[in-house]
Amino acid sequence: MFCILAFFILAILGIFSATHRELAKEAFKCVTKRVTFRPCDTGFKDKMQSHIVGTLITKSLPLAKFVNKNFELLSWIFFLTTIASIFWAGNGIYNFYIYGNCNGLVASGFCAFDPTGENNKSSSISSYCVAENIKQNNVSIENVDLSVFPTHNEQAENKIVFIGCYNCDYTRKAYPVVKKLLLENPNISYTFAHYPVKAETLYLLPIGYCAYKSDKEKYWQLNDILFGNSKEKNANPEEVDKILSELGYNLSDIKACTQSQETKKAIMKQRIELEKTGIYGTPLVFVNEVGLVGPKPYRVYNFMLNGIWEIKINKK
Amino acid sequence: MNINKIRNDFPFFTKNKGYIYFDNACQSLRPQSVMDSMNYYYTNLSACGGRSMHALSAQTTKLFEKVREKVAKFINAKSPHEIIFTRNTTESINLVARSIGLEKGDVVLTTDKEHNSNLVIWQLLEKQIGIKRKIVHSNDDGTFSFENYKEAFDENVKLVSMVFTSNLDGVTIPAKEIVSHAHKKNALVMLDGAQTAPHTKINVSDLDVDFLAFSGHKMLGPTGTGILYGKRKLLEKLNPFLVGGDTVSKTTYSSHEFLDVPERFEAGLQDYAGILGLGAAIDYLLGISIKNIYDHEIKLTTYLQSKIDNISNLHVIGPKDPKLRGGITSFYVDNVDHHKIALTLDSMNKIAVRSGQHCVHSWFDANKIKGSVRVSFYLYNTFEEVDSFINSLKKVINVLL
Repeated sequence: MFCILAFFILAILGIFSATHRELAKEAFKCVTKRVTFRPCDTGFKDKMQSHIVGTLITKSLPLAKFVNKNFELLSWIFFLTTIASIFWAGNGIYNFYIYGNCNGLVASGFCAFDPTGENNKSSSISSYCVAENIKQNNVSIENVDLSVFPTHNEQAENKIVFIGCYNCDYTRKAYPVVKKLLLENPNISYTFAHYPVKAETLYLLPIGYCAYKSDKEKYWQLNDILFGNSKEKNANPEEVDKILSELGYNLSDIKACTQSQETKKAIMKQRIELEKTGIYGTPLVFVNEVGLVGPKPYRVYNFMLNGIWEIKINKK
Repeated sequence: MNINKIRNDFPFFTKNKGYIYFDNACQSLRPQSVMDSMNYYYTNLSACGGRSMHALSAQTTKLFEKVREKVAKFINAKSPHEIIFTRNTTESINLVARSIGLEKGDVVLTTDKEHNSNLVIWQLLEKQIGIKRKIVHSNDDGTFSFENYKEAFDENVKLVSMVFTSNLDGVTIPAKEIVSHAHKKNALVMLDGAQTAPHTKINVSDLDVDFLAFSGHKMLGPTGTGILYGKRKLLEKLNPFLVGGDTVSKTTYSSHEFLDVPERFEAGLQDYAGILGLGAAIDYLLGISIKNIYDHEIKLTTYLQSKIDNISNLHVIGPKDPKLRGGITSFYVDNVDHHKIALTLDSMNKIAVRSGQHCVHSWFDANKIKGSVRVSFYLYNTFEEVDSFINSLKKVINVLL
């Protein structure tokens, strides 16, 4: 057992060190003999055991004695933990590649491949745009009425629902990635919902509703402009008015619309529907009804659209 | 003997600080002068000895032959012509075995503690030409049994080929008596002196031994250097062993004329650098004096014995009296693997000892002992090193037991 354990460990260490590479070769010879049901007569185990015990004797005699007496048992324990570690490391790599997060879908915790947690950071809805790692939670659009939100290409089979805040950094980071996805996959139903976690962009809720109601095509242009605009300009109603004017909207009509009871009700309805998603941070992007919180790499959204994600969901 | 001064002559100790080298029976370390001699050849000469006519070749030949003279003097041979350079003791023994003209039914007498170098060749000749082998069993304490020797001796014994000093337990056989007895019975004697020459003054003329084989690498010399001493009149009767370049004075397409001894046994280009190094090693040993070295080793072995006597479950192979074991102490510990002891000592405290059956598998198997740890001293070892070894050994046994 020790030879197999040593081979695993030394093979990994051998990537970085020539000395360990030689030992790994020796361990491999031993493993080869063991798997072909021949005794490992290379002396490798004795050599390594003596090296470990010899080093320990100089530190602690009782510890050296314990290790020597229980060497086989310890080898087994280390072997199993190594296998488990390799499995979890592999799973982490898979998760990172597929979900942009080592710990899996909508999971928190440290990820070695994303040490700063950029792929998982979101703007918390409980306060102003404060970046924090997402918590374990389930988000869903199963019972959400999406008809109350601006939607493009509604009849398409694949759906993307983008819930974000115009002035939140992580939403702004995710938007161009999702936009690229939409451009490369035109037959997608795309729904956008502004979720203003910053009070400064609350006023954009009725404007967005009215702009969409007034002219759907121009609304998507408005959306692009707001995500490309500086946060300061988005926070300034006069700047937004300018944009609306430039896009050809009738400002008076928009203003009148924003003041109407119908708009207020619609905004309220949108808010209620968004709460049903279980949202706790933005951006929240649903691809085919499965949500990811935080700005994910392009490949993650792409996997979701191209079926790998679906396979995963079906298994669940 | 100023040990500190001696140690300063060995670059090993500055390159391997703290290392305790107790594997001298396998091979010794080398003083700087040996390396310098070898380096001198490659740097200043680099020529073929004994063939070319240029000055470098002449100088090479001169220095090479000078070493032959030194070796002859070192063992008190009557003439440098009685010294043949080989690669090691094994080759020297093989040379005699293959050349002496043994015939079917001839008996070769050996001890029960022969190194494989003085065992395998006789087993092979037993199969190939039908010689017979007889083994002289030692006394229970490992010392030579003259009674057993006489009992084993018969009129068919043509050669007594015995290990002079055992690499297993350090016991030296009474060579002079053996030679005297064998000669009276018209048998020749060859001694494997690999473990004797580095530690004890050998006088081949006094011993009257017919052949003596030993190595340079155990006596401060370079690896790949060996010596065969043989009485000239016997060497002249030996059949050629390895033949070819530098063994003949003249050849035609159908015939050849061999050179005189010893050249006829030194085929091909010689290891000039190695032989010059061997010469420097002999100079160094003579500078210290073999007797001083022997006395120092005996003191170390006696000191070691006094310390390991207290360790329970530890058994020394060979006689209890350390004076009978020279610089060698082989031991095993009940229920502890000898290799693990050696490996752990090395990992723990950089102590180099030998473990295993030391190429004397036959003795170990016959005595049902798996193997042993062998400590072997030489001129540069110290009492402090023995103390360190003992402290480490006690800890290792405590942990491994």
